[in-house]
Amino acid sequence: MSVVCPVNLDREKLKSEVRATYARVAENPDGNFHFHRGPEYAARLLGYDLAELKALPQTATAPFAGVGNPFLMDPLPAGATVIDIGSGAGMDCLLAGQRVGLRGTVVGIDMTDAMIARARTGAAEAGLKQVRYEKAEITDLPMERESIDVVISNGVINLAPDKEAVLGELCRVVKPGGRLQFADIIVGTELSEDVRNNIDLWTG
Amino acid sequence: MIEALQQAGFGNARACHFFDSFSGTTKEGVARKYGVRGANFIAYKTA
Repeated sequence: MSVVCPVNLDREKLKSEVRATYARVAENPDGNFHFHRGPEYAARLLGYDLAELKALPQTATAPFAGVGNPFLMDPLPAGATVIDIGSGAGMDCLLAGQRVGLRGTVVGIDMTDAMIARARTGAAEAGLKQVRYEKAEITDLPMERESIDVVISNGVINLAPDKEAVLGELCRVVKPGGRLQFADIIVGTELSEDVRNNIDLWTG
Repeated sequence: MIEALQQAGFGNARACHFFDSFSGTTKEGVARKYGVRGANFIAYKTA
């Protein structure tokens, strides 16, 4: 039995809308959006350490638009290989890079050119050589099978219409005994077909 | 989500923390109407 909500929307249109929305966030984080952005939000509602965020480049923190905090769960081991799917401007990647240290690796994956560009600038500003970014879709990761210790993500899996494909791809790349620790949105009520097919509500 | 994680091959999947991620946004009313909020999940790939 499928556990994925059946949707009848145009998946390519959804992908295009998501890419366009987050390109706008990358280019103008202080613009008018229907979701919070930035380090103050992350500290006030999600439990991030504001002092730690203020020590990171604004290039990476200002467009942050996550919905939870993957760092409240198990600590990332020093030396671990970590990927962040839908890494955006890279705030969580930089935090992960600090935790895994120089012996570790963090790879941020995003499908938005503007976010990748901004994230690379932020990593260079932070001087974290263990952090890099690759443009890819989260259903087709540029990683070897069973090569990843920990997958983090923050508010991205909900944007994918085929969550089974995303989770299947994550299972392919994670090492046996490795883990996912991610944040995403949950919905407390059964949604009507009209709501499930409303792209504005997916991307908003 | 927990069921989807299990079907994909991850075990001991659970939601750990919850967040009012849309509080104070223009979509706060919609979020309240449908019970939309942020959540942390953890799951382990079966060894």
